[in-house]
Amino acid sequence: MSARRKKFLTVWLVGVLVGLGLVLYAYQGPVAATPAAPAAPKPFDPVAAAKKWQQPPPPPPPKVNPDGTPWVPVDQVAALKRAHEVPPLVVKTLEETQRERRLRLGDKMPKMADMKYPYLVLDNPMVNKEGDLYEAVRFMHKKHAAVLEGQCFTCHHAKPAAKDASETTRCVACHQSSFNPELPGRLGLKAALHRQCMGCHEKRKQGPVGCTDCHAKKVPDHRKLVKLPDKPGPLEVTKECLRCHQDAANHLQSAAHWQWKGPSPFTVNGEKRIDMGKATNTINNFCVALPSNWPRCTSCHAGYGWSNAEFDFNDQSRMDCLVCHDTTGTYSKVPTAAGWPFLELDFKKIAQSVGHPSRKNCGDCHFQGGGGDAVKHGDMNGILYYPSKSCDVHMGGMDFACQECHKTRNHKISGRSLSLPVAEGSRTCQDCHTNKPHNGNSLLDHHLNRHVEHLFCVTCHSPVYAKCRATKTWWDWSKAGRKERKPKKDRYGMPDYDWKKGEFLWKESMKPAYAWYNGKVERVLLGDKIDTSKVVDITKPVGGFRDPASRIYPFKLMEGKQAADAVNKLLLVPHLYGPGGFWATIGKTKTPVPDKVIDQAWNKAFVKGMAESIKVNPNNKGLKPYSGQYQWVQTRMYWGLTHETMPAKAALGCAQCHESLAKDKTCCRCHKDERHVDFKKLAHRGTDFEWMKKQGRDVHELIGKTDYLNFKALGYKGDPIVYGGRLKKLPLASTIDRECK
Amino acid sequence: MELNRRRFLGLTGAALGAGALGKPSRASAARAYQPPPDAYGCLVDLSVCVGCRKCEQACNQVNHLPEPERPFDDLTVLDDKRRPGPEAFTVINRYYTGRRDERNQMAPTFVKVQCMHCQDPACASACIVGALTKKPNGAVHYDVSKCIGCRYCMVACPFQIPAYEYHDPLTPRVRKCTFCFERISQAGGKPGCAQVCPVEAITFGKRSELIKLAKQKMADDPGRYQPQVYGEKEVGGTSWLYISREPFAKVGFLKLPSQPMPHLTETIQHGIFSYMWAPLSLFALLGGAMAVFNRKRDQGEDRS
Repeated sequence: MSARRKKFLTVWLVGVLVGLGLVLYAYQGPVAATPAAPAAPKPFDPVAAAKKWQQPPPPPPPKVNPDGTPWVPVDQVAALKRAHEVPPLVVKTLEETQRERRLRLGDKMPKMADMKYPYLVLDNPMVNKEGDLYEAVRFMHKKHAAVLEGQCFTCHHAKPAAKDASETTRCVACHQSSFNPELPGRLGLKAALHRQCMGCHEKRKQGPVGCTDCHAKKVPDHRKLVKLPDKPGPLEVTKECLRCHQDAANHLQSAAHWQWKGPSPFTVNGEKRIDMGKATNTINNFCVALPSNWPRCTSCHAGYGWSNAEFDFNDQSRMDCLVCHDTTGTYSKVPTAAGWPFLELDFKKIAQSVGHPSRKNCGDCHFQGGGGDAVKHGDMNGILYYPSKSCDVHMGGMDFACQECHKTRNHKISGRSLSLPVAEGSRTCQDCHTNKPHNGNSLLDHHLNRHVEHLFCVTCHSPVYAKCRATKTWWDWSKAGRKERKPKKDRYGMPDYDWKKGEFLWKESMKPAYAWYNGKVERVLLGDKIDTSKVVDITKPVGGFRDPASRIYPFKLMEGKQAADAVNKLLLVPHLYGPGGFWATIGKTKTPVPDKVIDQAWNKAFVKGMAESIKVNPNNKGLKPYSGQYQWVQTRMYWGLTHETMPAKAALGCAQCHESLAKDKTCCRCHKDERHVDFKKLAHRGTDFEWMKKQGRDVHELIGKTDYLNFKALGYKGDPIVYGGRLKKLPLASTIDRECK
Repeated sequence: MELNRRRFLGLTGAALGAGALGKPSRASAARAYQPPPDAYGCLVDLSVCVGCRKCEQACNQVNHLPEPERPFDDLTVLDDKRRPGPEAFTVINRYYTGRRDERNQMAPTFVKVQCMHCQDPACASACIVGALTKKPNGAVHYDVSKCIGCRYCMVACPFQIPAYEYHDPLTPRVRKCTFCFERISQAGGKPGCAQVCPVEAITFGKRSELIKLAKQKMADDPGRYQPQVYGEKEVGGTSWLYISREPFAKVGFLKLPSQPMPHLTETIQHGIFSYMWAPLSLFALLGGAMAVFNRKRDQGEDRS
């Protein structure tokens, strides 16, 4: 080896050593790290979650009846057809004052009973030609007539000169297109309607006068407005939406559908709190609670990627506009992907066809609560996408969208529930139907209107819930984990068991539980001490027989068994979904699953579940980590029933609750027998359970039932007709034996 | 031919004599103009207007105007008094005149402002190139191809309506309500604002009929209206007419003479130029002055 070569090698070696030293000096990897430190949580991967789900996005619900015929909202279609007719223009009207008119008519004044069309849609192509900014208005013709106490001439202000013309000729006969040179001063249809409605509403200081109080705004065509590259992602869509609708994002940011918590004015001891909700501390006896189970539960969140306690609710870029505003019916979220949608969807097309929410948008979450169709709500399920009129008179007969009742302002949606404390406004039937909703002005209506003080409308107007699709009424978590148990189908075709969830009972066309309710709710929340020896009411309506603010409400009673901390006396949150959860642990175990494994899996689930619960409720003093001992307690929840109202003629009849009217003697005890009214027929008509049974409904137990509400259980001595009402005694007991005729 | 002083004076005299022989009537020389007899108009009933701004929106759409900064359903813009501009040919302003409604609240009066389409428009009179013309259907029509951008119309308009696109340095236009000229020229066509108005606060029709209708309304409900149809006589009459519950002076209307604006200006201007007397007297004066000075100079030269 030459000296030169030696020198080169030495320099080379020294260089390599110095380099290695430097690298070692700089490297502080696992050598420096403490082995106990946990690895940083992996960010949630929506693509992997969607892949794991393995199913394609579901198609839009078909717009057909159960028998396959095309679905038609009968009342709406009939009203629209009538609204679009253009009768020949009436040129001359009778010139007379209202007084002269009354004198001329005498006894022949039109009456409520003469009304042929109780429901109208105020729409006409003539009007739309003159400006097409708003949707047509639904008009409760009969209700308006009732409020005006049958004074038809308040609106029908003139009679056509023709002798045979009706006294209540419709608006469009005289008011057609505007500025007719032949008839100077005659208003066009649009102006005539606006002036009549707004003028009267202003004069009487009741009724809406703002544009959007009657009309829904038409959504402009977004095809040209939305500028997106091909195949955009959901986050790009949100960014594009917020380019114009930043206000909407600001409003949603404080709304319940984004925060999953908010003001709880109707919760006892929670009236001033704003921190209650699914996001934090509510608990139920379905899948129990959110903490530690996020990606599964938050698949219904109006946002993307709420997969753990660290989700940033100030990040508006994560908002999901499309879940509520898609009109294509194709948008769908992966049920296990923390709110991410199926990424193969055509987001550009969806974004370009946004509009007002439909029953599909709301229903995809609200009909599917509890992990499947009809599971949670007794009065809401997939039937309501396209229900028949006999199932829901508003949505089926008149094609109501949810927000037509649940009035929405600034992305705050009015309405409340028993199951959740958050309420952004409250809606009742009476908001539209008034406190005297039975407006036929007959003998019976007088009595029915007096019921309004004591009964919630749905109590009579929907005597059974889960009318067309069975809902879950019992859920026993203590039986979960038995992978070897084969689920059996019940008479509705629903499984009685799922190893992940336990044992179930289902019921279709169920008679509700009735209870007094004044609007307030008592709740058991996370961290609240419970008495494990009794049935725990997780939600319970407040009210009572003597409370004038209380009315009898129908409820779905949801009962089941779930875990409680045997030491701390708290309801437990199990970590069900995700790695290390109960489902994953049992899923990996071979069949049959030994008791010990199930026990261990539960313990592991409760440790994680309670730890995560504490994380999202840092100020909740009652919450304690899992003690290590659990027990099964029976729990109960009251779920309010407000939807699925049936047509008026299907409501409960007098004799179905009042036993005293069930036999031959009815109204005649107090009223003189009138020849043109058949008292018995009046009192005995009501919900036709025979007919419902023929339609395939499971109502055979309800046929021929009297004392439907069970007055004694509600605090009455018995039938109030005989024993008197709750707040005043009617002198009816003395007449009860009176002979008729 | 050599034009000396004597000859020039002679020719002038001849011309003056020829002019005097014609003897046209003074008035017709100044104002030969007659407003179109069968013009359309709009009658705005301020007691009906609810201030919804739909007319503004319709105007924006039919004229393809740019999107406004604040949307049309934002009624807080009514907190300020606005003027029509190059991007909004009509605006609604809200006035509180002190009238109280049945709830003892201050009752607003909404006033729609746009070009009044004068029967005898000052803008058209002032326009030196004939870009603005009163059309037989009532519209005061602007022809951008003739406009040279002198903005005399803006100065001339008694209602200060024409606006100028100052933001556009190359092809600025004068902008104002068009009375939807194209639309109303078609059979059954209505101006965008009148068509969209949900309460028919604007009635579109023949001007003569509208005046009758306005008078009829006043007769039917005398307590509801001021006994004046604004625009019937103001500046010689306008195609847009207003009736109001409130005194017009309280809701932003100017008190204007019943004589058309061009009557004064054109009389002056035409008077100046009739018989060429003004230039002739000017030249005569100049000539006289020249003569006097020349004579003095001649005399001075003589003296020196």
